[in-house]
Amino acid sequence: MQITKLWLTDFRSYEELELPLDLGLTAIVGANGIGKTNLLEALGVLATLKSFRGAPTDSMVRREAAFAVVRAEGIRDDREVLIEVELGRRRTRAQVNRQRLKRTRDLLGALRLTVFAPDDLALLKAGPSVRREYLDDLLVAIDPSVDAALRELERVLKQRNALLRQSHGRLDEAAAMTLDVWDAKLAAAGDAVTKRREQLVDELLPVVSEAYEHLAGEEVPVGAVYQRSWPEASMAEALVVSRDGDVRRGVSTVGPHRDELVITLNGLASRTEASQGEQRTLALALRLAGHRMVSSVLGEPPLLLLDDVLSELDDDRARALLTNLPPGQTVITSATDLPALAVPDRLFRFDDSGHPVAGE
Amino acid sequence: MSVYAKPVEVLIDELGRLPGIGPKSAQRIAFHLLKADKIDAQRLSDAVVAMKEKVSFCDRCFNVAEGEECTICSDIQRDQHVLCVVEEPKDIAAIEKTGAFRGIYHVLLGAMNPLEGIGPDQLKIRELALRVAGENITEVILCTNPNLEGETTAAFIASKILAPFELKVTRLASGLPVGGDLEYADELTLGRALEGRNTVS
Ligand SMILES: Nc1ncnc2c1ncn2[C@@H]1O[C@H](COP(=O)(O)OP(=O)(O)O)[C@@H](O)[C@H]1O
Ligand SMILES: [Mg+2]
Ligand SMILES: [Zn+2]
Repeated sequence: MQITKLWLTDFRSYEELELPLDLGLTAIVGANGIGKTNLLEALGVLATLKSFRGAPTDSMVRREAAFAVVRAEGIRDDREVLIEVELGRRRTRAQVNRQRLKRTRDLLGALRLTVFAPDDLALLKAGPSVRREYLDDLLVAIDPSVDAALRELERVLKQRNALLRQSHGRLDEAAAMTLDVWDAKLAAAGDAVTKRREQLVDELLPVVSEAYEHLAGEEVPVGAVYQRSWPEASMAEALVVSRDGDVRRGVSTVGPHRDELVITLNGLASRTEASQGEQRTLALALRLAGHRMVSSVLGEPPLLLLDDVLSELDDDRARALLTNLPPGQTVITSATDLPALAVPDRLFRFDDSGHPVAGE
Repeated sequence: MSVYAKPVEVLIDELGRLPGIGPKSAQRIAFHLLKADKIDAQRLSDAVVAMKEKVSFCDRCFNVAEGEECTICSDIQRDQHVLCVVEEPKDIAAIEKTGAFRGIYHVLLGAMNPLEGIGPDQLKIRELALRVAGENITEVILCTNPNLEGETTAAFIASKILAPFELKVTRLASGLPVGGDLEYADELTLGRALEGRNTVS
């Protein structure tokens, strides 16, 4: 689906706003704090019903207003679609073509989205959980049924950890029998998720390398290895080996929830040994690679939102990004003008009243 | 300081303790009863007391029963060799509605759920083992809910409790919505799942 027009009512800094988008590249230029990210966040709400900044729903409602409305007109399969999301302080509701959805989450999947924001540097700098989440989000975007497998894994871990805590470091025979069956569930759920992640990393690596090379303008060997938290061949075996330790510590010490995606540049660990500039480029390459994979699997590119990327890249890389954008609809924000050569299909600048108006 | 008269507060508290009833609903029900005729309120309170006095759990299968045995256990027409294990008495009602099952039941009164402090000892699993050892049962159908806790409970019973016995152990065939509750499966689906049950290895 592509968005042709966005309307906001009482969304963050906007009381009322109407903003037409191009089917290609739309650029939104304005000073810091003026409301650029708010716009992208609103587009994100249409896809995921929540803030990509991780902000609570409440904070997206304009101060003093009771609820916010995000409305968008778009095209899906050559037909016009109208999506409306109402963000109340207590609940979120959604309409498609003026029909209220019985379950608001039925909206999910109507609009696909890839977001790259400055926070994404965390993909390389932060702990392993951020990279696991990157893989899992991508898996779900490619195959929504993975979501159930991930939730099952999460629930099994919670149950198994509760059981481990209750055993207070010692396992009697009855508790051991109970743990056996939870282990079997964890083994099945864990093997399933691990296999999907490993397969994804294999498919992703060449795409990330290519994206990196394009941005950096040189061939640098990029590596991505999925590192399990256990050396055994199957999770079932790993759980046998780790049982004593798990009981002693009262927590599950092996499984997909402890795995890591190790990314290297020139054979060096990117998390600790790459420069800030290399990390930024790599983070962007990871997002663009995911975007390409989802595009090819779904046969249609997701809406690509690039928040403030240019300030993070040197001129050459910024130009490399903009002159080689993936096909599809892109909205980019920037505090400064786009580099020469990169001409957006549509440009908005903020005027004195804090509203984006069509630029030349 | 209480906002409402004390007896109303007490009733709201008591109602709020019931499953599925939050503070808002508790308040609504309390005020509904306050406005209702005295005789209607009396009928409700009588029904609750009578139920607690006359009905409890069946000594044998832990279904609800008026007296020591439930109506299913005292029905000698039913096949005494096929035993269906369920989580709650309400699951029996759901299965009976399908008409696809003529055997007897055993109610666990829950499912394994460490997060809620429920392990095998909190369920009627020991009682199940005693029945299988003492009665002339040839097949056990594990009809726990098709969600994680129900599946795990079924796995526990199959591998840890029933394995030593010479029995056919079956699990409801797929077709039931995964992650769901037996109670909410429609009759046709549940009936088919019962007929197409799979042997648990
Ligand atoms: N709920 C809200 N109500 C009113 N204004 C808000 C709300 N949330 C954020 N803002 C305002 O939005 C502005 C930030 O907008 P943002 O889109 O992040 O700026 P930028 O253009 O730098 O991306 C701040 O001035 C902030 O006060
Ligand atoms: Mg911003
Ligand atoms: Zn009975």
